[in-house]
Amino acid sequence: MQIKIFLQQLEESLEGLDSGTVSETTVFKELKEWDSLAILTLTDTIDLEYGVLLKKAEIESCETAQSLFDLVQSKV
Amino acid sequence: MPANQFLDISLTGSVTVVPPNVRSIEEDVDLFGGNIRQIERLKKTLGLNERRIASSNITSLDLCEQAAQVLLGQLNIKSSDVDGVLFVTQTPDHSQPSNASLLHGRLGCDTDCAALDVGLGCSGFVYALWLAYSIIANGSSQRVLLLAGDTLSRLVHPKDRATASLFGDAGSATMIEKREGAGVSWFRLGTDGRGSNSLIVPAGGARLPLSQETAEEYTDDDGNIRTKENLFMDGSEVFNFSIEVIPQEIKALLEYAGASKDTVDYFLLHQANRYMVHNIGKRLKVGLDRCPVDSFGAFGNVSSASIPGALAYELADQLSGKCKNKSSHQVVFSGFGVGLSWGSCLLTVPELDCLEWRVYEA
Repeated sequence: MQIKIFLQQLEESLEGLDSGTVSETTVFKELKEWDSLAILTLTDTIDLEYGVLLKKAEIESCETAQSLFDLVQSKV
Repeated sequence: MPANQFLDISLTGSVTVVPPNVRSIEEDVDLFGGNIRQIERLKKTLGLNERRIASSNITSLDLCEQAAQVLLGQLNIKSSDVDGVLFVTQTPDHSQPSNASLLHGRLGCDTDCAALDVGLGCSGFVYALWLAYSIIANGSSQRVLLLAGDTLSRLVHPKDRATASLFGDAGSATMIEKREGAGVSWFRLGTDGRGSNSLIVPAGGARLPLSQETAEEYTDDDGNIRTKENLFMDGSEVFNFSIEVIPQEIKALLEYAGASKDTVDYFLLHQANRYMVHNIGKRLKVGLDRCPVDSFGAFGNVSSASIPGALAYELADQLSGKCKNKSSHQVVFSGFGVGLSWGSCLLTVPELDCLEWRVYEA
């Protein structure tokens, strides 16, 4: 798993974000459209790309993109 | 895991009736705090657009009765020639007697007829289809009338963003008959009761009767308001269940039938929302043109009526012989939802004498 590709996938999954907006230190709650719909599309992307199906609470427990990356990597 | 095959039984016609009231997602702007961008995201991502809402004097029984009258008329079948009535609903007129009995009386069917309700939602149409095929196969019936309808709009709380804009109302009637040369039909069904809390109306049954307490509004962690008498849906749990189970189920069904996904003309999936339908299509690696979903944006998620509704809304020309490219079609139906429960089938659908949807007339 590469963090750079992962961040790109996050960006594409979260609709309406400009390219390069998401970095390792991005705090999800600070994104303007961080809601249950965003979590749903993100769940789907991570499952399709890595075969890891996360629960909503697991995604919500990750504050930053880096922590979500670490979580997914631990489950791949 | 029940897996069955049936010989020479066929779906021979289907009618869906929707109430006249149309509500569009734009009218829900207050529900989303005036956030028009959010409405646009929901339209784009989930495909929310319009839904049909039954007025308080119309029930799923009324919608299904009208669908049944049209179906019997178009197929030129007398109600006395129907010897099985199955009614799928989670919104019956009464806790007893069953909607099937009420409809039996309204249609004037013979007393020599079995009639029962099936208490399922989005998986219910496929489950009842399997029951219909089963009772024809075992010789109990020759001709089964299958009703599937719900008025879930009345169970959702208008301030619950997880459900209020999603569900619409509809009723359907479908005929299943013994038909020589119809070929083989294949079914697979499943249940996971451990997920029963992720789609539930907590109050109103014997466990928690209606009371002052159950009518009290509460606000959940996401800021949604509802009472215990409303439908609760844990959207992410239901989504995860659907993407985890349904693509695998459909693959297993095709394997069981010895069929290839390439020979299936249409994958008619429960119209939960556009994102879900496209997502399952993607996971099956089939073209999205074979996974119709436009009825979702016209009717909303209409629970047990969603598969027959989509059949009539999207495939009427193709399956009723107006497009003369094929005399029959291979169609997969897959329903999934409350229970949690799911059912899928692969059918050969012949040219149908009756396949349509229409608006309820009082």
